Amino acid sequence: MVANRSFNIGRLFIYACLAAFALFYLAPLYVMLTTSFKDIEEIRSGNLLALPQDPTLYAWIKAWSSACTGSECQGLAPFFMNSVKIVVPAVIISTVIGALNGYVLSKWRFRGSDLMFGMLLFGCFIPFQVILLPMARLLAELGLANTVTGLVLVHVIYGVAFTTLFFRNFYVSVPTELVKAAQLDGASFFQIFRHIFLPVSLPIFTVTIIWQFTQIWNDFLFGVVYSGPGTQPITVALNNLVNTSMGGKEYNVDMAAAVIAALPTLLVYIFAGKYFVRGLTAGAVKG
Amino acid sequence: MGSLLIDNVTKSFGETNILKGINIDIQDGEFLILVGPSGCGKSTLMNIIAGLEDATSGTLELAGKDVTLASPKDRDIAMVFQSYALYPTMNVARNISFGLEMRKVPKEERDRIVDEVAKLLQIDHLLDRKPSQLSGGQRQRVAMGRALARSPRVFLFDEPLSNLDAKLRVEMRTEIKKLHKRLGTTIVYVTHDQIEAMTLADRIAVMKDGIVQQLGTPDEIYNNPANMFVAGFMGSPPMNFIEVEVEDGQAIVESAGETHPLKLPCAEAIAAKGLNRVVLGIRPEMITEPKPAPEDQDWLHSMSLDFDVVEPMGADTMAIGQWNGVDIHSRLSPKAGMTAGKGTEIQVNTAKAVAFDIQTGERIC
Amino acid sequence: MSVSKAKKPMTLESILPKIVLAPTTAVMLVCMYGFMIWTGALSFTKSRMLPQWDFVGFDQYAKLFSNPRWDVALNNLVVFGVLFIAVSLLLGLFLAILLDQKIRLEGTLRTIYLYPMAVSFVVTGTAWKWILNPGLGLEKLVRDLGFENFEFRWLVEQDMAIYTIVIAAVWQSSGFVMAMFLAGLRGVDDSLIKAAEIDGASKMKAYWYVILPILRPVFFSAIVILSHIAIKSFDLVQALTGGGPGYASDLPANFMYTYAFNRAQMGVGASSAMIMLMGVLAIIVPYLYSELRGGKNGR
Repeated sequence: MVANRSFNIGRLFIYACLAAFALFYLAPLYVMLTTSFKDIEEIRSGNLLALPQDPTLYAWIKAWSSACTGSECQGLAPFFMNSVKIVVPAVIISTVIGALNGYVLSKWRFRGSDLMFGMLLFGCFIPFQVILLPMARLLAELGLANTVTGLVLVHVIYGVAFTTLFFRNFYVSVPTELVKAAQLDGASFFQIFRHIFLPVSLPIFTVTIIWQFTQIWNDFLFGVVYSGPGTQPITVALNNLVNTSMGGKEYNVDMAAAVIAALPTLLVYIFAGKYFVRGLTAGAVKG
Repeated sequence: MGSLLIDNVTKSFGETNILKGINIDIQDGEFLILVGPSGCGKSTLMNIIAGLEDATSGTLELAGKDVTLASPKDRDIAMVFQSYALYPTMNVARNISFGLEMRKVPKEERDRIVDEVAKLLQIDHLLDRKPSQLSGGQRQRVAMGRALARSPRVFLFDEPLSNLDAKLRVEMRTEIKKLHKRLGTTIVYVTHDQIEAMTLADRIAVMKDGIVQQLGTPDEIYNNPANMFVAGFMGSPPMNFIEVEVEDGQAIVESAGETHPLKLPCAEAIAAKGLNRVVLGIRPEMITEPKPAPEDQDWLHSMSLDFDVVEPMGADTMAIGQWNGVDIHSRLSPKAGMTAGKGTEIQVNTAKAVAFDIQTGERIC
Repeated sequence: MSVSKAKKPMTLESILPKIVLAPTTAVMLVCMYGFMIWTGALSFTKSRMLPQWDFVGFDQYAKLFSNPRWDVALNNLVVFGVLFIAVSLLLGLFLAILLDQKIRLEGTLRTIYLYPMAVSFVVTGTAWKWILNPGLGLEKLVRDLGFENFEFRWLVEQDMAIYTIVIAAVWQSSGFVMAMFLAGLRGVDDSLIKAAEIDGASKMKAYWYVILPILRPVFFSAIVILSHIAIKSFDLVQALTGGGPGYASDLPANFMYTYAFNRAQMGVGASSAMIMLMGVLAIIVPYLYSELRGGKNGR
């Protein structure tokens, strides 16, 4: 009986710890959401953790359509669209290239292909600061400075290392005998990819797309360096919005804006968390 | 026509020579088995025949046509893989017809062939299933069906039965033999299972270290092994090897404390080579309980043997004793009711005994 | 064996794999390795607004290391790196071990611990900036609870600002460390703990002596990944403190950005980028080396 009771106390301690940390992780989200529904008066007088007394959408509407991000005051809407315009093509292109690269690197290796893969893998680790300056130069030469296309290009170039890594590691586990069997059956390089590999690739496409989507949507460095006034992605706009202090500081608008910027990736996480975590583990090298 | 000529084929990766000049001439309709321990190069040779790997040198002729450089799809060869390699996302019917589809055979024709093959292999009720929904034996049949559908010139089987349990393996072995009888297509079959090799093959090529040690009918391989490796590899339990002195064409064997001279069929050859020590090779079934043998009394020797272990196996009883301090296996009839113990009376038949050179392991006679 | 190897005729089909890989290879060579060399070369010139190729040896590096702002950034990196890695590791391991005790609602808890990873550093910075702000945030909350003299103004204090970055970074990344450890723990044979307990070890001791040593590779990976995050940290600082007050919470990445793009000091920016690269290499190269060797040892 005694042993049993100490066992229960131990369990209680464990659950208490787990719950306390759950609160720690949830707190910022809770604060962001509640603050975004308060008006500025309530923020000044009330406290951080209180629920909004008189919920209002004022901050959300302002953050979306009229808050100032630097000298312009059109809210986050246009920048949200910029991010969409950057993310969609960049994700699709880098994923397709990664799938083909991974297919070659796992099943059609040739002299030098392992070296190439090693160099690509190594490239995943380099701090982007070492390529920022020359890349800016290249984009200028190509006439792509400060354009959405330029940003898509940058994200594709530095995303392909990861998409290739993902697909290569996935396809390595597809039995090579399937390729041999298909070759004997008369299938060509692309037919084997189309008929044998694509049909089994749904999970890895999901993982890769989610990973790339999260990375590119959340990117700030490339956004802040390579975008111009009209082409900034949402992360840059959010940062500008928060740091633009015209008149009084409107924390409720800041918070609404932050939630808007976080929403797409949060939704992906909530609905496809399993694949998100798999991507994290696979792409852990990037951090 | 499905004859296949393997002419001086070699394969090396850098400094490592996997195949060191393989020559095999396979007749149309022949069932050839490549057998050998893992790493002997048999699977590499198989891949070269299929066109999945390139030979380093040498040529390959299929039905009189040089196919050394032809790509796999242009060789008209089908293969059954050890892992079956069924396409996981396709159902059985599509697995079987995929090769035809890739060769642009019209749909009706494909359906007809799938139907025919499925009936032949008794898998017609499985056509809509995915490979993951099949048992091991069923997968095996589908893999064979896929190969059959294309009616190729040559079938390659790469250890097709090694993933099945023992009972199913025997069943499928018989099935493959029947199939070969019925279709008459050339088969090259890789295995490391010597029983499979003995039961299925028209001819066997025993390989080791990238060299064909011996190429011959099962009977030749079993009774006239070219060297100690072949003799030891084929047969279970393997041939007994005992180092012996040779005096006057007789091998001197010490058993249960007594020495016995055993008459050898090849005394002249040993004498001609001037050897006085050889490795005596004698199959377990040649060491038995005393039994009447009407002919060739010359080759029979009686002696007593100390049995350390007796292993009843149902049809036979294996008993293990020692000659010259080496373990030897004997195959007894269970009716003799032998038990472990000293001084058991046995009979040794040396009519088929062989002798090997101690240094080279090559057979002397 | 005199037959020389006949070359297979080169068909489109046979070189397709190379064709497919060619664009990526070319782009990789130019945009990763080429650019790295370019930046390296630039760091030895006196480029300011525009690149110019007058080589001045190690002048830019000398300038860099005599710059007090770089000094602050490096110091901050050490403080931030050590704390961030240590706290994330401990917290992640602690949570993983607790979660490994056959917990009800494990899935939900895991989801909660890990969601910050899906959010961008800019959002994290924005949120914590509000929570930690001295006027209306945490400070006010505690004061309202009755502690009238409570002070919490790290965000605006020279010496403390860097710690706010540690808090926010730990909040964001520790869940990921938890996930790594949990995956590691799940890979450990259950019977090991049972065997240790039968041998008389308490649960704590069983973890300490039996399980943790097995998780050593996970520790290594986690440390490498976390230090990689630390060295590259840029967005979080930018959003949370803007490097301030003054430049008190700058990290090298922020320094590089400021000098290369806002102050038109390309040479200094390039040399600071090269130092960051060296830092990453110092961590990654031994790691990759041991990973590749470890694979052979069947680790």
